[in-house]
Amino acid sequence: MKLGHRIWSMPISYRAPVIVALLMVAVSAAISERVLDRLSRTQERFLDGLAETYLDGLSSAVIPAVLRGDVWEVFDALDRSATSYGALAPLETVVTGADGRVLAASDPGRISAYSELPAAYADRYGPGMVTIDEASESGFARRELVYQGLPIGTIHAAFDVSHLFAERREILLTLLVTNGVLAALFSLGGFLLVRRMTGPMRVLESHMRAAASGAAEPISPAEFPSRDREVASLFRGYNALVHAERERADLAMRLAEEEKVASLGRLASGMAHEINNPLGGLFNAIDTLKKHGTTPGVRDTSISLIERGLAGIRDVVEAALATYRPERSRRPLGLHDFEDVRLLLKPELRRKRQKLDWDVAWTDTGPTLPDGGPVRQALLNLLLNASAVTPEGGTLAFRAGHTDRLVTIEIEDQGPGMPREVLGILTEADPGPAVRAGHGLGLWMVRRTIDELGGTVKIAQKNDGGTMVTLILPLAREGASSHAA
Amino acid sequence: MDGAIHRRREGLTRREFTSGVAATALAAFSPAASGAQEDAFRFGLTPVFLTSDLELLGHLRAYLTARVGGPVELVTRRTYQEITALLVSGQVHSAWICGYPYVQFRDRLDLVATPSWHGKPLYQSYLIAAADRRAEGWENLRGDIHAFSDPDSNSGYLVTRTLLAENRMMPDQFFSRHFFTYGHRNVVRAVASRLAQSGSVDGYVWEVMKETEPDLVAQTRIVRRSEWLGFPPVAAPRSLSGDPRVARFKDALVSMAEHPDGRSVLGLLRLDGFVPTEPSLFDAIAAKVETVRRFG
Repeated sequence: MKLGHRIWSMPISYRAPVIVALLMVAVSAAISERVLDRLSRTQERFLDGLAETYLDGLSSAVIPAVLRGDVWEVFDALDRSATSYGALAPLETVVTGADGRVLAASDPGRISAYSELPAAYADRYGPGMVTIDEASESGFARRELVYQGLPIGTIHAAFDVSHLFAERREILLTLLVTNGVLAALFSLGGFLLVRRMTGPMRVLESHMRAAASGAAEPISPAEFPSRDREVASLFRGYNALVHAERERADLAMRLAEEEKVASLGRLASGMAHEINNPLGGLFNAIDTLKKHGTTPGVRDTSISLIERGLAGIRDVVEAALATYRPERSRRPLGLHDFEDVRLLLKPELRRKRQKLDWDVAWTDTGPTLPDGGPVRQALLNLLLNASAVTPEGGTLAFRAGHTDRLVTIEIEDQGPGMPREVLGILTEADPGPAVRAGHGLGLWMVRRTIDELGGTVKIAQKNDGGTMVTLILPLAREGASSHAA
Repeated sequence: MDGAIHRRREGLTRREFTSGVAATALAAFSPAASGAQEDAFRFGLTPVFLTSDLELLGHLRAYLTARVGGPVELVTRRTYQEITALLVSGQVHSAWICGYPYVQFRDRLDLVATPSWHGKPLYQSYLIAAADRRAEGWENLRGDIHAFSDPDSNSGYLVTRTLLAENRMMPDQFFSRHFFTYGHRNVVRAVASRLAQSGSVDGYVWEVMKETEPDLVAQTRIVRRSEWLGFPPVAAPRSLSGDPRVARFKDALVSMAEHPDGRSVLGLLRLDGFVPTEPSLFDAIAAKVETVRRFG
């Protein structure tokens, strides 16, 4: 089990050859077992046949001599048979008479004529024709000599079967070497094949990793496999995904730009109002100056009017510039940012006859506060949204304050509540799906600003209807310069 | 080595046996050979020491065929007794027998010639034992399993039997067991392989085997040599004494050393030649027969 786990945890280009090698080992073990089994049975059959022939020939040669108890004739037959049955390699042959005594042995020096046959000879036979003793690499066979139905003696024969074992060892060695070489070749082949097969996967993997780190590149046609249609189709699918993603990102960017332009338009028309309103008074004052400029009281009043009107126009223009060219005013968030936002929002509130509850408790404490530019743009966006969803004549609320560690800003509206997917843009960990669906691009820009500043957004439904959005922004730690610096 | 020659006057017309093929020596046992019985000169050979030496038989037959003038059939049998029976009953014209059967049937047999070995028609009987055995004399062989050559052999049985009889013993009393191998060469094999612990063997055969099969003979050693005795002779039934073929056969044997074929036969047998001898050459053997007979 442990081995299995280890194998499964290997990379596939190693796992496949290891499995192939293990399979080969299993197959070769099974084959070797079968081959050796068949071989030993064939050998034993062959040996049985040889022994049978040997004993048949010897029986017919010795029976007359055994009947006469002719020691010499028996020995002569044994002696001659030793050379004529070379294939069998008889080690020792003993012929006994009816009384069980030895008539002659092929080696009389070991077992002499007329002696008792050693007891070991009687016990060494098994049920088959030839009994093989693996320890001594010898085979034993016995043949009763029968004449006219009566037993007249026995032939005890021992054969050298070491060549059978040598042949088995040789074949086993051949099998091991052959199968070992085959297993190694198959494993190497498997390794190369799997590497070749998983090559496209590695191409895909490297592209996906690159995409994850931001640079999604389509797979170049040169890397397409020429023959593997499945992989080619996979690559095409990946490339289609990359193209679609790029188009969507382009679209989102374009939409964001359009949204920006649209909100700019709204602001611009508001600003135009803001500028236009004093313009009427300014022209009246200029007419008054033309007609009654000589009158000192009138002239002073008119010039004062003109001055105030121009100052209002300048404020509006400055607020717009600060908001939409934040790089010009890279300053910590401060009271003037809130005032600018309020100024820019005013035309819209007036148009919809809405009221804004303003509650800002703020002290400008310096560079630990977040950057002012992005925040005021985000606040303007949120407030314009709140104004848009609140009915005419409704009330908005804006509250801002900070402690040593956090800036807290709350915006309330009287709208019907944010749809779930729009809400998600501000609060979900991944705002992607809602943005890709094309919703709330303004809010997405807010979200990006908050993320950049390391803040969070909370959205709550109010009891009287409407929504409260809470921005919580961290202050930089004491001593550290503003992260925007 | 026993032999005898018979004289028969049957026709000499059959020519089937004139070829020099050595294997025809074995054809003596075939039906065709029986059919040739009336025509061929039949020479019986006791189990020669070189039992398998077909080359010798081939040369001998070729030589005799040329010299006797007509087909010659070589007749071999397993035991001395069979050849002796064929000879005495006149079924072979002549036979190389042992001195022992010769003296037993001396009154019915004529000597044709006797081989001469080392210049004399004499040989010895040896008692042999394994080469590594420490036996000073024949007395040390008591209790052995003993191999005799043939019960009708002088050197391979009678000599040892007589030695024991002179000492008032039967072979069964002196030896624990004994058996016959029906061939002197087999006695040497039996002793060399230790099937028998000692054996009685023809000294001439033992000496020749020392040259031809030195490895086998080297496994044995001589324990006792007998006195010199008459060499196994060639004899013929007295009933054929007038047969001219027997006379020609005798000439062929005696003049064997003068002919190339004959010399090659003698060379293979390690003999000098054949000499005419008197029956008295075998008196010593006859005395042994008498000793054994008296002892029982």
